Amino acid sequence: MSAGAAVVDLRRYACPLTWVKTRIALERVGEGDRIEVWLAAGEAVESVPRSAAHDGHRVLGVEPLREDPAGFRVLIEKGAPAPGELA
Amino acid sequence: MDLSGKSVLVVGAGGLGGPALLVLAAGGVGRITIVEDDVVETSNLNRQPLFAETDLGLRKAAAAAARLRELFPAAALDVRDARFDAGNAVELARAADVVVDGSDNFSTKFLANDAALRARVPLVHGGVLRTTAQLLSVVPAGLGGCLRCLFEAPPPAGEIPSCAEAGILGPVAGFAGSLMGAEALRLLAGERGAYEGRLYTFEARSARSRLVLVRKRQGCLACAGTQPIEGAAPEACERTTSRPGSAA
Amino acid sequence: MSRGPAPLDDARLARWARQLLVPGFGEAAQQRVAAVTVRAVGADAVASPALVYLVQAGVGRLWIDDPETVSPADAGGWLYPPAAVGTPRADAASAALARLSSYVEVAPYPMGGVPSATLVAAPSAAQALHAAEAARRAGIPHVVLEADADGGALVSVPPGAPCYACARSTGAGRPAVPGAAALAALAAQELLLLVASPGTVPGRRFDLVRGVATARPTARLAGCACGAAREPAPGAPPG
Repeated sequence: MSAGAAVVDLRRYACPLTWVKTRIALERVGEGDRIEVWLAAGEAVESVPRSAAHDGHRVLGVEPLREDPAGFRVLIEKGAPAPGELA
Repeated sequence: MDLSGKSVLVVGAGGLGGPALLVLAAGGVGRITIVEDDVVETSNLNRQPLFAETDLGLRKAAAAAARLRELFPAAALDVRDARFDAGNAVELARAADVVVDGSDNFSTKFLANDAALRARVPLVHGGVLRTTAQLLSVVPAGLGGCLRCLFEAPPPAGEIPSCAEAGILGPVAGFAGSLMGAEALRLLAGERGAYEGRLYTFEARSARSRLVLVRKRQGCLACAGTQPIEGAAPEACERTTSRPGSAA
Repeated sequence: MSRGPAPLDDARLARWARQLLVPGFGEAAQQRVAAVTVRAVGADAVASPALVYLVQAGVGRLWIDDPETVSPADAGGWLYPPAAVGTPRADAASAALARLSSYVEVAPYPMGGVPSATLVAAPSAAQALHAAEAARRAGIPHVVLEADADGGALVSVPPGAPCYACARSTGAGRPAVPGAAALAALAAQELLLLVASPGTVPGRRFDLVRGVATARPTARLAGCACGAAREPAPGAPPG
Protein backbone atom coordinates (compact mmCIF):
# COMPACT_ATOMS: atom_id res chain seq x y z
CA MET A 1 0.00 0.00 0.00
CA SER A 2 1.11 3.55 -0.55
CA ALA A 3 3.35 5.35 1.87
CA GLY A 4 2.36 8.84 2.97
CA ALA A 5 -1.17 8.01 4.09
CA ALA A 6 -1.82 9.11 7.68
CA VAL A 7 -2.05 6.10 9.96
CA VAL A 8 -4.99 5.90 12.35
CA ASP A 9 -4.42 3.11 14.87
CA LEU A 10 -7.79 1.94 16.15
CA ARG A 11 -6.82 -1.53 17.27
CA ARG A 12 -7.97 -0.96 20.82
CA TYR A 13 -11.46 0.19 19.81
CA ALA A 14 -14.61 -1.78 19.01
CA CYS A 15 -17.69 -1.03 16.93
CA PRO A 16 -19.15 1.55 16.63
CA LEU A 17 -16.24 3.71 17.80
CA THR A 18 -14.05 2.23 15.05
CA TRP A 19 -16.27 3.71 12.38
CA VAL A 20 -16.88 6.94 14.33
CA LYS A 21 -13.14 7.56 14.63
CA THR A 22 -12.50 6.58 11.02
CA ARG A 23 -15.17 8.99 9.89
CA ILE A 24 -13.66 11.79 11.94
CA ALA A 25 -10.21 11.06 10.56
CA LEU A 26 -11.69 11.33 7.07
CA GLU A 27 -13.41 14.58 8.02
CA ARG A 28 -10.04 16.05 8.91
CA VAL A 29 -8.36 15.34 5.55
CA GLY A 30 -9.15 16.71 2.10
CA GLU A 31 -10.95 15.09 -0.79
CA GLY A 32 -8.58 12.70 -2.53
CA ASP A 33 -6.37 12.31 0.55
CA ARG A 34 -5.76 8.86 1.97
CA ILE A 35 -5.81 7.44 5.45
CA GLU A 36 -4.68 4.04 6.65
CA VAL A 37 -6.81 2.62 9.46
CA TRP A 38 -5.44 -0.17 11.66
CA LEU A 39 -8.06 -2.46 13.15
CA ALA A 40 -8.08 -5.47 15.42
CA ALA A 41 -9.60 -8.62 13.93
CA GLY A 42 -13.36 -8.63 14.25
CA GLU A 43 -16.56 -7.00 13.04
CA ALA A 44 -14.86 -3.68 12.30
CA VAL A 45 -12.64 -5.17 9.58
CA GLU A 46 -15.81 -5.81 7.62
CA SER A 47 -18.01 -2.90 8.73
CA VAL A 48 -15.48 -0.07 8.42
CA PRO A 49 -14.75 -0.66 4.72
CA ARG A 50 -18.46 -1.16 4.07
CA SER A 51 -19.38 2.06 5.83
CA ALA A 52 -16.61 3.96 4.06
CA ALA A 53 -17.82 2.77 0.69
CA HIS A 54 -21.40 3.54 1.62
CA ASP A 55 -20.38 7.11 2.48
CA GLY A 56 -18.79 7.59 -0.93
CA HIS A 57 -15.13 6.98 -0.10
CA ARG A 58 -12.85 4.61 -2.04
CA VAL A 59 -11.58 1.58 -0.17
CA LEU A 60 -8.26 0.87 -1.80
CA GLY A 61 -7.47 -2.29 0.12
CA VAL A 62 -7.82 -4.41 3.24
CA GLU A 63 -4.90 -6.60 4.24
CA PRO A 64 -3.34 -8.14 7.34
CA LEU A 65 -0.96 -5.93 9.25
CA ARG A 66 2.68 -6.84 8.90
CA GLU A 67 3.35 -5.16 12.25
CA ASP A 68 0.69 -7.15 14.15
CA PRO A 69 -0.50 -10.64 13.17
CA ALA A 70 -3.87 -10.02 14.83
CA GLY A 71 -4.47 -6.75 13.03
CA PHE A 72 -5.58 -5.44 9.66
CA ARG A 73 -4.98 -2.28 7.71
CA VAL A 74 -7.64 -0.56 5.60
CA LEU A 75 -6.55 2.08 3.08
CA ILE A 76 -9.26 4.62 2.32
CA GLU A 77 -9.28 7.54 -0.10
CA LYS A 78 -11.64 10.34 0.87
CA GLY A 79 -14.51 10.98 -1.52
CA ALA A 80 -16.73 14.01 -2.06
CA PRO A 81 -18.66 15.46 0.91
CA ALA A 82 -22.00 13.87 1.81
CA PRO A 83 -25.22 15.83 1.17
CA GLY A 84 -25.75 18.38 3.91
CA GLU A 85 -22.07 18.33 4.76
CA LEU A 86 -20.21 21.62 4.73
CA ALA A 87 -17.61 21.29 2.00
CA MET B 1 -61.20 12.35 26.46
CA ASP B 2 -60.89 9.98 29.39
CA LEU B 3 -58.49 7.16 28.56
CA SER B 4 -58.24 5.82 32.09
CA GLY B 5 -60.04 2.65 31.03
CA LYS B 6 -57.65 2.03 28.14
CA SER B 7 -54.43 0.08 27.95
CA VAL B 8 -51.41 0.42 25.65
CA LEU B 9 -48.49 -1.90 24.95
CA VAL B 10 -45.20 -0.15 24.19
CA VAL B 11 -42.38 -2.22 22.73
CA GLY B 12 -39.07 -0.60 23.57
CA ALA B 13 -38.37 2.36 25.85
CA GLY B 14 -35.55 3.94 23.85
CA GLY B 15 -35.44 6.45 21.05
CA LEU B 16 -39.01 5.90 19.87
CA GLY B 17 -40.62 4.18 22.83
CA GLY B 18 -39.26 6.73 25.30
CA PRO B 19 -40.99 9.83 23.90
CA ALA B 20 -44.08 7.75 23.11
CA LEU B 21 -44.28 6.66 26.76
CA LEU B 22 -43.96 10.25 27.97
CA VAL B 23 -46.81 11.30 25.67
CA LEU B 24 -48.99 8.35 26.68
CA ALA B 25 -48.45 8.89 30.39
CA ALA B 26 -49.26 12.58 30.06
CA GLY B 27 -52.34 11.66 28.05
CA GLY B 28 -53.73 9.70 30.99
CA VAL B 29 -53.84 6.20 29.51
CA GLY B 30 -55.05 3.83 32.20
CA ARG B 31 -52.49 1.06 31.90
CA ILE B 32 -49.14 1.17 30.11
CA THR B 33 -47.21 -2.04 29.51
CA ILE B 34 -43.52 -1.66 28.70
CA VAL B 35 -41.48 -4.46 27.15
CA GLU B 36 -37.75 -3.76 27.07
CA ASP B 37 -34.77 -6.05 27.65
CA ASP B 38 -31.76 -3.80 27.15
CA VAL B 39 -29.29 -1.96 29.38
CA VAL B 40 -28.69 1.82 29.36
CA GLU B 41 -25.49 2.66 27.46
CA THR B 42 -23.72 5.96 26.93
CA SER B 43 -24.46 6.13 23.21
CA ASN B 44 -28.20 5.80 23.96
CA LEU B 45 -28.34 9.12 25.74
CA ASN B 46 -28.36 11.40 22.70
CA ARG B 47 -31.87 10.25 21.84
CA GLN B 48 -33.49 8.30 24.70
CA PRO B 49 -35.13 10.89 26.96
CA LEU B 50 -36.13 8.52 29.77
CA PHE B 51 -32.50 7.95 30.72
CA ALA B 52 -30.02 10.19 32.48
CA GLU B 53 -26.27 9.81 32.79
CA THR B 54 -26.92 8.49 36.30
CA ASP B 55 -28.82 5.54 34.77
CA LEU B 56 -25.86 4.12 32.84
CA GLY B 57 -25.58 0.39 33.37
CA LEU B 58 -29.12 0.00 34.69
CA ARG B 59 -31.76 -2.21 33.07
CA LYS B 60 -33.74 0.04 30.73
CA ALA B 61 -37.11 -1.35 31.80
CA ALA B 62 -36.50 -0.45 35.44
CA ALA B 63 -34.96 2.93 34.67
CA ALA B 64 -37.82 3.83 32.32
CA ALA B 65 -40.40 2.86 34.91
CA ALA B 66 -38.66 4.85 37.62
CA ARG B 67 -38.51 7.96 35.45
CA LEU B 68 -42.16 7.67 34.39
CA ARG B 69 -43.31 7.11 37.98
CA GLU B 70 -41.35 10.15 39.10
CA LEU B 71 -43.03 12.38 36.52
CA PHE B 72 -46.44 10.71 36.54
CA PRO B 73 -47.02 9.05 39.92
CA ALA B 74 -50.59 8.18 38.98
CA ALA B 75 -49.62 6.16 35.91
CA ALA B 76 -50.26 2.43 36.20
CA LEU B 77 -47.25 0.71 34.67
CA ASP B 78 -46.81 -2.97 33.88
CA VAL B 79 -43.08 -3.41 33.35
CA ARG B 80 -41.68 -6.45 31.52
CA ASP B 81 -37.91 -6.71 31.51
CA ALA B 82 -38.03 -9.19 28.66
CA ARG B 83 -37.60 -9.47 24.93
CA PHE B 84 -40.73 -9.05 22.85
CA ASP B 85 -40.61 -12.31 20.93
CA ALA B 86 -42.66 -15.01 19.27
CA GLY B 87 -43.36 -16.55 22.67
CA ASN B 88 -45.16 -13.54 24.16
CA ALA B 89 -46.02 -11.17 21.33
CA VAL B 90 -49.61 -12.20 20.62
CA GLU B 91 -50.54 -12.57 24.28
CA LEU B 92 -49.13 -9.12 25.08
CA ALA B 93 -50.90 -7.57 22.10
CA ARG B 94 -54.23 -9.15 23.04
CA ALA B 95 -54.07 -7.54 26.48
CA ALA B 96 -53.81 -4.04 24.99
CA ASP B 97 -56.11 -1.64 23.15
CA VAL B 98 -53.23 -0.32 21.01
CA VAL B 99 -49.67 -1.48 20.36
CA VAL B 100 -46.91 1.11 19.94
CA ASP B 101 -43.87 -0.43 18.33
CA GLY B 102 -40.75 1.46 19.32
CA SER B 103 -38.45 -1.47 18.58
CA ASP B 104 -35.13 -0.91 16.88
CA ASN B 105 -34.79 -3.77 14.41
CA PHE B 106 -36.66 -5.27 11.52
CA SER B 107 -37.44 -8.69 12.94
CA THR B 108 -39.22 -7.18 15.91
CA LYS B 109 -41.08 -4.63 13.77
CA PHE B 110 -42.46 -7.40 11.60
CA LEU B 111 -43.27 -9.52 14.63
CA ALA B 112 -45.18 -6.62 16.21
CA ASN B 113 -47.08 -6.14 12.94
CA ASP B 114 -48.03 -9.79 12.68
CA ALA B 115 -48.91 -10.20 16.36
CA ALA B 116 -51.05 -7.06 16.54
CA LEU B 117 -53.02 -8.11 13.46
CA ARG B 118 -53.48 -11.63 14.81
CA ALA B 119 -54.70 -10.13 18.07
CA ARG B 120 -56.92 -7.72 16.08
CA VAL B 121 -55.38 -4.72 17.87
CA PRO B 122 -54.30 -1.48 16.14
CA LEU B 123 -50.56 -0.93 15.84
CA VAL B 124 -48.53 2.25 15.53
CA HIS B 125 -45.26 1.54 13.77
CA GLY B 126 -42.32 3.92 13.60
CA GLY B 127 -38.75 4.03 12.45
CA VAL B 128 -35.91 6.52 12.41
CA LEU B 129 -32.58 6.56 10.62
CA ARG B 130 -30.14 9.45 10.36
CA THR B 131 -32.41 12.41 9.70
CA THR B 132 -35.52 10.60 8.48
CA ALA B 133 -38.56 9.48 10.45
CA GLN B 134 -41.31 7.13 9.26
CA LEU B 135 -44.70 6.28 10.73
CA LEU B 136 -47.52 3.96 9.78
CA SER B 137 -50.64 2.87 11.65
CA VAL B 138 -52.06 -0.58 11.00
CA VAL B 139 -55.69 -0.91 11.99
CA PRO B 140 -57.26 -4.38 11.59
CA ALA B 141 -60.25 -4.11 9.28
CA GLY B 142 -59.38 -0.44 8.87
CA LEU B 143 -58.00 1.52 5.97
CA GLY B 144 -54.96 0.37 4.08
CA GLY B 145 -52.31 -2.26 4.36
CA CYS B 146 -49.79 -3.40 6.93
CA LEU B 147 -46.01 -3.51 7.14
CA ARG B 148 -45.94 -6.68 5.03
CA CYS B 149 -48.13 -5.07 2.40
CA LEU B 150 -45.50 -2.35 2.25
CA PHE B 151 -42.50 -4.70 2.41
CA GLU B 152 -43.16 -8.37 1.85
CA ALA B 153 -40.17 -9.32 3.95
CA PRO B 154 -37.48 -7.61 5.99
CA PRO B 155 -34.69 -6.36 3.72
CA PRO B 156 -31.63 -8.63 3.58
CA ALA B 157 -28.89 -7.85 6.07
CA GLY B 158 -26.32 -5.46 4.66
CA GLU B 159 -28.73 -3.68 2.36
CA ILE B 160 -29.49 -1.21 5.11
CA PRO B 161 -26.66 0.10 7.26
CA SER B 162 -26.41 -1.59 10.61
CA CYS B 163 -26.44 0.20 13.93
CA ALA B 164 -22.69 0.48 13.98
CA GLU B 165 -22.71 2.42 10.77
CA ALA B 166 -25.86 4.50 10.83
CA GLY B 167 -26.45 7.57 12.91
CA ILE B 168 -29.55 9.07 14.45
CA LEU B 169 -30.19 12.68 15.33
CA GLY B 170 -31.85 12.69 18.77
CA PRO B 171 -34.63 15.21 18.13
CA VAL B 172 -35.66 13.38 14.95
CA ALA B 173 -36.22 10.25 17.02
CA GLY B 174 -38.05 12.43 19.51
CA PHE B 175 -40.26 13.83 16.78
CA ALA B 176 -41.13 10.36 15.53
CA GLY B 177 -41.72 8.87 18.98
CA SER B 178 -43.84 11.82 20.11
CA LEU B 179 -45.97 11.51 16.98
CA MET B 180 -46.35 7.79 17.67
CA GLY B 181 -47.62 8.57 21.14
CA ALA B 182 -50.05 11.17 19.81
CA GLU B 183 -51.29 8.75 17.15
CA ALA B 184 -51.87 6.09 19.80
CA LEU B 185 -53.91 8.59 21.82
CA ARG B 186 -56.03 9.28 18.74
CA LEU B 187 -56.67 5.60 18.14
CA LEU B 188 -57.46 5.01 21.81
CA ALA B 189 -59.98 7.85 21.66
CA GLY B 190 -61.72 6.12 18.76
CA GLU B 191 -60.59 8.61 16.12
CA ARG B 192 -59.19 7.68 12.75
CA GLY B 193 -55.40 7.58 12.81
CA ALA B 194 -53.41 10.23 10.96
CA TYR B 195 -51.20 7.48 9.54
CA GLU B 196 -53.83 4.82 9.09
CA GLY B 197 -52.95 3.01 5.89
CA ARG B 198 -50.61 5.88 5.00
CA LEU B 199 -46.86 5.90 5.45
CA TYR B 200 -45.70 9.26 6.78
CA THR B 201 -42.08 10.14 6.08
CA PHE B 202 -40.30 13.23 7.34
CA GLU B 203 -36.74 14.24 6.47
CA ALA B 204 -35.25 16.83 8.79
CA ARG B 205 -32.79 18.79 6.66
CA SER B 206 -35.11 19.29 3.72
CA ALA B 207 -38.12 19.45 6.07
CA ARG B 208 -39.96 17.38 3.49
CA SER B 209 -43.01 15.41 4.56
CA ARG B 210 -44.66 12.73 2.47
CA LEU B 211 -47.83 10.78 3.11
CA VAL B 212 -48.02 7.72 0.84
CA LEU B 213 -50.97 5.32 0.61
CA VAL B 214 -50.21 1.77 1.62
CA ARG B 215 -52.64 -0.50 -0.17
CA LYS B 216 -53.61 -3.87 1.21
CA ARG B 217 -51.71 -6.48 -0.73
CA GLN B 218 -53.90 -9.21 -2.16
CA GLY B 219 -53.39 -12.35 -0.11
CA CYS B 220 -51.44 -10.72 2.73
CA LEU B 221 -51.39 -13.29 5.51
CA ALA B 222 -50.58 -10.75 8.17
CA CYS B 223 -53.65 -8.67 7.33
CA ALA B 224 -55.70 -11.86 7.55
CA GLY B 225 -54.24 -12.53 10.98
CA THR B 226 -52.68 -15.78 9.81
CA GLN B 227 -49.02 -14.81 9.29
CA PRO B 228 -46.95 -17.39 11.23
CA ILE B 229 -45.62 -15.77 14.38
CA GLU B 230 -41.86 -16.02 14.36
CA GLY B 231 -38.98 -13.73 15.15
CA ALA B 232 -35.29 -14.15 14.43
CA ALA B 233 -32.86 -12.90 17.09
CA PRO B 234 -32.96 -9.10 16.74
CA GLU B 235 -29.80 -7.05 16.51
CA ALA B 236 -29.73 -4.07 18.82
CA CYS B 237 -29.72 -1.19 16.39
CA GLU B 238 -32.27 1.21 14.98
CA ARG B 239 -33.48 1.12 11.40
CA THR B 240 -36.29 2.55 9.36
CA THR B 241 -38.31 0.31 7.12
CA SER B 242 -37.13 2.28 4.15
CA ARG B 243 -34.89 0.71 1.57
CA PRO B 244 -32.50 2.79 -0.49
CA GLY B 245 -34.45 4.25 -3.35
CA SER B 246 -37.86 3.51 -1.90
CA ALA B 247 -40.70 5.89 -1.03
CA ALA B 248 -38.84 7.66 1.75
CA MET C 1 -5.90 25.78 11.16
CA SER C 2 -3.47 25.90 14.04
CA ARG C 3 -6.03 27.03 16.59
CA GLY C 4 -9.48 25.62 17.23
CA PRO C 5 -11.51 23.54 19.62
CA ALA C 6 -9.80 20.49 21.12
CA PRO C 7 -10.54 17.19 19.36
CA LEU C 8 -13.34 15.24 21.00
CA ASP C 9 -12.03 12.79 23.58
CA ASP C 10 -13.04 9.13 23.57
CA ALA C 11 -15.72 9.62 26.22
CA ARG C 12 -17.40 12.30 24.14
CA LEU C 13 -17.06 10.24 20.97
CA ALA C 14 -18.79 7.35 22.71
CA ARG C 15 -21.47 9.60 24.13
CA TRP C 16 -22.36 11.17 20.77
CA ALA C 17 -21.37 8.28 18.53
CA ARG C 18 -24.86 8.01 17.08
CA GLN C 19 -25.14 11.59 15.93
CA LEU C 20 -21.51 11.76 14.83
CA LEU C 21 -22.48 9.18 12.23
CA VAL C 22 -25.22 11.30 10.68
CA PRO C 23 -24.13 12.64 7.26
CA GLY C 24 -23.15 16.27 7.63
CA PHE C 25 -22.85 15.98 11.41
CA GLY C 26 -19.26 15.18 12.23
CA GLU C 27 -16.67 16.29 14.72
CA ALA C 28 -16.78 19.96 13.72
CA ALA C 29 -20.56 19.99 14.07
CA GLN C 30 -20.41 18.39 17.51
CA GLN C 31 -17.81 20.95 18.58
CA ARG C 32 -20.07 23.79 17.46
CA VAL C 33 -22.86 22.30 19.55
CA ALA C 34 -20.56 22.00 22.55
CA ALA C 35 -19.52 25.63 22.13
CA VAL C 36 -23.05 27.07 22.00
CA THR C 37 -24.83 28.90 24.80
CA VAL C 38 -28.59 28.54 24.38
CA ARG C 39 -31.00 30.91 26.06
CA ALA C 40 -34.34 29.16 26.56
CA VAL C 41 -37.12 31.71 26.91
CA GLY C 42 -39.94 29.77 28.51
CA ALA C 43 -39.54 26.38 30.19
CA ASP C 44 -43.07 25.09 30.64
CA ALA C 45 -44.34 21.60 29.80
CA VAL C 46 -44.55 22.47 26.11
CA ALA C 47 -40.89 23.47 25.94
CA SER C 48 -39.63 20.62 28.12
CA PRO C 49 -38.94 18.04 25.39
CA ALA C 50 -36.89 20.61 23.47
CA LEU C 51 -34.75 21.28 26.52
CA VAL C 52 -34.16 17.58 27.11
CA TYR C 53 -33.09 16.99 23.49
CA LEU C 54 -30.83 20.02 23.39
CA VAL C 55 -29.05 18.91 26.55
CA GLN C 56 -28.66 15.36 25.29
CA ALA C 57 -27.41 16.58 21.93
CA GLY C 58 -24.46 18.10 23.76
CA VAL C 59 -25.08 21.84 23.95
CA GLY C 60 -22.40 23.34 26.11
CA ARG C 61 -24.49 25.78 28.09
CA LEU C 62 -28.22 26.26 28.57
CA TRP C 63 -29.72 29.25 30.34
CA ILE C 64 -33.32 28.93 31.50
CA ASP C 65 -35.05 32.29 31.16
CA ASP C 66 -38.39 31.79 32.91
CA PRO C 67 -39.54 33.76 35.95
CA GLU C 68 -42.62 31.66 36.67
CA THR C 69 -43.15 28.87 39.17
CA VAL C 70 -43.93 25.32 38.16
CA SER C 71 -47.68 24.97 37.70
CA PRO C 72 -49.78 21.78 37.89
CA ALA C 73 -50.03 21.91 34.08
CA ASP C 74 -46.24 21.74 33.84
CA ALA C 75 -46.39 18.37 35.53
CA GLY C 76 -47.61 16.99 32.20
CA GLY C 77 -44.18 17.50 30.69
CA TRP C 78 -40.78 15.88 30.68
CA LEU C 79 -39.04 17.75 33.50
CA TYR C 80 -41.24 18.49 36.50
CA PRO C 81 -42.41 15.87 39.00
CA PRO C 82 -45.44 16.88 41.08
CA ALA C 83 -43.11 17.74 43.97
CA ALA C 84 -41.67 20.61 41.92
CA VAL C 85 -45.02 22.40 41.62
CA GLY C 86 -44.77 25.82 43.26
CA THR C 87 -40.99 26.04 42.97
CA PRO C 88 -39.27 28.39 40.48
CA ARG C 89 -39.23 26.85 37.00
CA ALA C 90 -35.72 28.02 36.23
CA ASP C 91 -34.33 26.24 39.28
CA ALA C 92 -36.38 23.06 38.84
CA ALA C 93 -35.55 22.83 35.13
CA SER C 94 -31.86 23.44 35.76
CA ALA C 95 -31.71 20.69 38.34
CA ALA C 96 -33.65 18.19 36.23
CA LEU C 97 -31.58 18.86 33.12
CA ALA C 98 -28.22 18.83 34.88
CA ARG C 99 -28.97 15.29 36.03
CA LEU C 100 -29.22 14.12 32.44
CA SER C 101 -25.69 15.01 31.44
CA SER C 102 -22.42 16.10 33.01
CA TYR C 103 -21.37 17.74 29.74
CA VAL C 104 -23.80 20.64 29.94
CA GLU C 105 -23.83 23.67 32.20
CA VAL C 106 -27.46 24.52 32.99
CA ALA C 107 -28.45 27.54 35.03
CA PRO C 108 -31.12 30.22 35.32
CA TYR C 109 -30.50 32.97 32.76
CA PRO C 110 -28.02 35.44 34.21
CA MET C 111 -28.86 39.13 33.83
CA GLY C 112 -26.88 40.50 30.90
CA GLY C 113 -25.89 37.03 29.71
CA VAL C 114 -24.99 36.84 26.01
CA PRO C 115 -26.28 33.67 24.36
CA SER C 116 -25.22 32.39 20.96
CA ALA C 117 -28.60 30.79 20.15
CA THR C 118 -32.13 31.19 21.48
CA LEU C 119 -35.14 28.90 21.88
CA VAL C 120 -38.38 30.83 22.35
CA ALA C 121 -41.36 29.05 23.89
CA ALA C 122 -42.88 32.09 25.53
CA PRO C 123 -46.39 32.19 27.01
CA SER C 124 -47.50 35.31 25.15
CA ALA C 125 -47.12 36.69 21.64
CA ALA C 126 -45.61 39.89 22.99
CA GLN C 127 -42.93 38.01 24.92
CA ALA C 128 -42.17 35.82 21.93
CA LEU C 129 -41.76 38.83 19.64
CA HIS C 130 -39.55 40.58 22.15
CA ALA C 131 -37.27 37.59 22.65
CA ALA C 132 -37.09 36.87 18.93
CA GLU C 133 -36.23 40.47 18.16
CA ALA C 134 -33.41 40.43 20.70
CA ALA C 135 -31.98 37.32 19.06
CA ARG C 136 -32.33 38.83 15.60
CA ARG C 137 -30.47 41.98 16.61
CA ALA C 138 -27.76 39.88 18.18
CA GLY C 139 -27.40 38.02 14.88
CA ILE C 140 -27.85 34.62 16.48
CA PRO C 141 -29.92 31.64 15.26
CA HIS C 142 -33.24 31.25 17.00
CA VAL C 143 -36.35 29.12 16.87
CA VAL C 144 -39.83 30.15 18.05
CA LEU C 145 -42.55 27.68 19.11
CA GLU C 146 -46.25 28.43 18.92
CA ALA C 147 -48.13 25.56 20.54
CA ASP C 148 -51.66 24.83 19.34
CA ALA C 149 -53.54 21.80 20.71
CA ASP C 150 -51.45 18.74 19.81
CA GLY C 151 -49.29 20.56 17.29
CA GLY C 152 -48.75 24.18 16.35
CA ALA C 153 -46.20 26.18 14.43
CA LEU C 154 -42.46 26.59 14.56
CA VAL C 155 -40.45 29.39 12.99
CA SER C 156 -36.78 28.79 12.43
CA VAL C 157 -34.59 31.90 11.96
CA PRO C 158 -30.96 31.53 10.93
CA PRO C 159 -28.99 34.81 11.12
CA GLY C 160 -30.12 37.15 8.37
CA ALA C 161 -33.26 35.16 7.49
CA PRO C 162 -36.77 36.66 7.52
CA CYS C 163 -37.56 37.34 11.15
CA TYR C 164 -40.15 35.82 13.43
CA ALA C 165 -42.46 38.82 13.07
CA CYS C 166 -42.60 38.16 9.32
CA ALA C 167 -43.54 34.53 9.71
CA ARG C 168 -45.57 34.21 12.88
CA SER C 169 -49.21 33.27 13.26
CA THR C 170 -51.71 35.99 13.88
CA GLY C 171 -54.43 35.16 16.35
CA ALA C 172 -54.02 32.99 19.42
CA GLY C 173 -53.61 29.24 19.21
CA ARG C 174 -55.46 26.83 21.45
CA PRO C 175 -53.68 25.72 24.61
CA ALA C 176 -51.37 22.74 24.20
CA VAL C 177 -52.91 19.39 25.12
CA PRO C 178 -51.17 17.23 27.74
CA GLY C 179 -48.48 15.19 26.07
CA ALA C 180 -47.99 17.46 23.06
CA ALA C 181 -44.28 16.95 22.50
CA ALA C 182 -43.63 16.58 18.79
CA LEU C 183 -43.43 20.33 18.12
CA ALA C 184 -40.81 20.76 20.84
CA ALA C 185 -38.75 17.89 19.42
CA LEU C 186 -38.91 19.63 16.07
CA ALA C 187 -37.76 22.87 17.72
CA ALA C 188 -34.74 21.11 19.17
CA GLN C 189 -33.99 19.60 15.78
CA GLU C 190 -34.10 22.98 14.05
CA LEU C 191 -31.97 24.76 16.61
CA LEU C 192 -29.48 21.90 16.54
CA LEU C 193 -29.22 22.09 12.74
CA LEU C 194 -28.80 25.88 12.83
CA VAL C 195 -25.97 25.57 15.34
CA ALA C 196 -24.29 22.43 14.03
CA SER C 197 -24.53 23.08 10.29
CA PRO C 198 -24.79 26.86 9.85
CA GLY C 199 -25.77 27.98 6.38
CA THR C 200 -27.14 24.62 5.26
CA VAL C 201 -30.74 25.16 6.27
CA PRO C 202 -32.83 28.22 5.27
CA GLY C 203 -35.31 30.10 7.44
CA ARG C 204 -38.54 28.18 7.45
CA ARG C 205 -41.88 27.77 9.17
CA PHE C 206 -43.40 24.41 10.10
CA ASP C 207 -47.09 23.88 10.73
CA LEU C 208 -47.78 20.68 12.61
CA VAL C 209 -51.43 19.74 12.26
CA ARG C 210 -52.89 16.34 13.06
CA GLY C 211 -49.54 14.68 13.06
CA VAL C 212 -48.23 16.01 9.75
CA ALA C 213 -45.61 18.76 9.49
CA THR C 214 -45.71 21.09 6.51
CA ALA C 215 -42.72 23.36 6.02
CA ARG C 216 -42.35 26.49 3.91
CA PRO C 217 -39.45 28.91 3.52
CA THR C 218 -40.14 32.13 5.38
CA ALA C 219 -40.54 35.36 3.42
CA ARG C 220 -39.82 38.88 4.48
CA LEU C 221 -42.81 41.18 4.85
CA ALA C 222 -42.34 44.46 2.97
CA GLY C 223 -41.06 47.18 5.25
CA CYS C 224 -40.03 44.87 8.09
CA ALA C 225 -37.02 46.06 10.06
CA CYS C 226 -35.35 42.72 9.43
CA GLY C 227 -35.03 43.68 5.79
CA ALA C 228 -33.45 47.09 6.42
CA ALA C 229 -29.72 47.61 5.83
CA ARG C 230 -28.67 44.90 8.17
CA GLU C 231 -25.40 44.36 9.95
CA PRO C 232 -23.81 41.17 8.67
CA ALA C 233 -24.32 38.11 10.80
CA PRO C 234 -21.22 37.19 12.80
CA GLY C 235 -18.74 35.60 10.41
CA ALA C 236 -20.85 36.26 7.31
CA PRO C 237 -19.71 38.54 4.47
CA PRO C 238 -21.37 42.00 4.43
CA GLY C 239 -24.48 42.75 2.32
